[in-house]
Amino acid sequence: MNKKIVAVAGLALALTACGKEGGTTAEPAAAPKPGEKPGVCLVMKSLANEFFQQMQKGAEEHAAKRGDLTLSVVGIQNETDIDNQVAAVEKCVTQQAKAIVIAPADSRALVAPLKRAVDAGVKVVNIDVQLEEGAMKAAGIGDKVPFVGPDNREGAKQSGMELVKAVGKDAEVVILEGNPGAANAAQRKAGFEDAIKEGGLKLVDSKTAHWETNEAHTVFSNMLTAHPNIKGVLAGNDNMALGALKAIDEQGKKGQIKVASFDNIPAIAQYVKDGSVVATLDQYGAQQAANGIDYAMKMVGGENFSGWQKTEIKLITKDNLG
Amino acid sequence: MIKRLVLGEAGIGVALVVLAGFFVIAAPNFATEQNLRNIMTQITLNTVLAVGMTFVILVGGIDLSVGSAMALCAVVSGTMMAGSHSAVTLLGAILVSVLVGGVVGWINGFVSEQWRVPSFIVTLAMLNVARGAAERYTDAATIYNLPAALNDFGTLTLLGVPAVFWVALLLAGIGWFVLSRTVFGRLIYATGNNEEAVRLSGHKTSRIKIAAFMIAGLTVGIAAVLYMARLNIASPILGQGYELNAIAAVVIGGASLMGGRGSMAGTFLGACLLGVLTNGLLLMGVSDFERQIITGLVILVAVVLDAYRLRLARKLAVTQPAKEPVPATVAS
Repeated sequence: MNKKIVAVAGLALALTACGKEGGTTAEPAAAPKPGEKPGVCLVMKSLANEFFQQMQKGAEEHAAKRGDLTLSVVGIQNETDIDNQVAAVEKCVTQQAKAIVIAPADSRALVAPLKRAVDAGVKVVNIDVQLEEGAMKAAGIGDKVPFVGPDNREGAKQSGMELVKAVGKDAEVVILEGNPGAANAAQRKAGFEDAIKEGGLKLVDSKTAHWETNEAHTVFSNMLTAHPNIKGVLAGNDNMALGALKAIDEQGKKGQIKVASFDNIPAIAQYVKDGSVVATLDQYGAQQAANGIDYAMKMVGGENFSGWQKTEIKLITKDNLG
Repeated sequence: MIKRLVLGEAGIGVALVVLAGFFVIAAPNFATEQNLRNIMTQITLNTVLAVGMTFVILVGGIDLSVGSAMALCAVVSGTMMAGSHSAVTLLGAILVSVLVGGVVGWINGFVSEQWRVPSFIVTLAMLNVARGAAERYTDAATIYNLPAALNDFGTLTLLGVPAVFWVALLLAGIGWFVLSRTVFGRLIYATGNNEEAVRLSGHKTSRIKIAAFMIAGLTVGIAAVLYMARLNIASPILGQGYELNAIAAVVIGGASLMGGRGSMAGTFLGACLLGVLTNGLLLMGVSDFERQIITGLVILVAVVLDAYRLRLARKLAVTQPAKEPVPATVAS
């Protein structure tokens, strides 16, 4: 199955290469002539994830709007399919893409193949999960690959501060964490903890529910049993918030327990509206890849970027809900 | 023989009581009415899936596709009922969920039997196909805005017991009746024990096995509806790893993965044991990683104890010259 994905990806790349404007079919994947649209390779994580689907859609629309590049998108089977992502990067280099925009499946494992890409003259932009700084420095590409993305920690803090406002000082709260080991999960947790500290809340428990609704329902019901005085929940994403909300509802505590969340998926809107979710955070996930493409094109044009290029985040509350 | 079966279930029952007793002392608020209700809600899905899984395991098969198939049932049915207030649509969507599950189960059984492929492989393939289909069907989007009536059912309690758990109990009851009180149930056991003998006695064993997979599929469809009722969403990524929990419940319940041995009561107690364990450990504040380790160890201990019990049973039955080391007669 993984092979199939690679095959499809390869086919897509081949098609893109053939489809270049003005190129004669007799020149398979030859070096692009001056004036030709540069090829940009978007290497994604699991396309089975709603978040990445939207990101891909956003990128494709953006590329079409810009009109000055040829975008090819490569996905992998699941979020931990590192091997195939490495293969995808190598394929992009072979196909002589001008730039690679990548959401790495692993913050270390992808450094080596990306270095080979940089060495081959391909511009690389890192989106979604930040590549590890130490590994990048060791590979000598620390100043060549910018990270374009939102500040998860700051976002989580903003969302958490809304909860502080709603439940007041000394209130008991819990955190529902994302996948252990995931960088964004750790950053969001850190941001929630910042808010808890600053707002003087009392953290009574913090557990993972693996980003998932049903597990969040189970974990939070049990937290509530162990700590009946919980007044607030800080959920690492909206899907987990949905599970917690259901548990609150079931135990007849609707209105007494407030939820701060993250992601702003459509399903959460009704709960923001009725006040049970005090805030969620939009990090414009769909725009992340598009932002990456913009940076990649600037780099292809000769500019140089490195380090963290922060992108827009927006706190969503009852007041500004679309 | 029946005595020995009862003895087996009694073993799990004792383990469950001991575990619960431990949590009553060690875990704050474990022994409260609300928490009991929580546990019932939390074990509902696994119980329902394990009921179907018991049939498959009894005929010597395995179904790895239940988690993915559940997601497929949920998104197809959820898409149909989302935003609707009509009772007819709701009932129709529920039927569709069960139907999709049944069809998936039939395919699993049919392919395994028609081409004599191990069900492990067939359902592993189905695990991928169903997941991919669910994601394709929804473009990986979460479905929400499900009918309020379904949501109400998800939070309803009857006689202090969550309605969704009543459904699980009912299914377990039906499963128990079918397995222990009907000819079909006897044939399920017999097929798992000695397929050749059943075939020679004039029964079509492939039909029996396909039926077992279909039953598993139907329970998957029902579990999908219960999931939606409880959580008010349908997501194409739901149910990942559920197959393993269901298998764990059946195995803890004393079933043999070789087929022919196991019982519905054991499965039910196995599901309870897993649920009580998770609940109690969470209440005690045991960390995520440790909880995973402990759950794994409990499964291991359960099967090891079961192996000992079997050996003992075989020793007791030493009067018969046992040529075959397989515990072929224990359950019949």
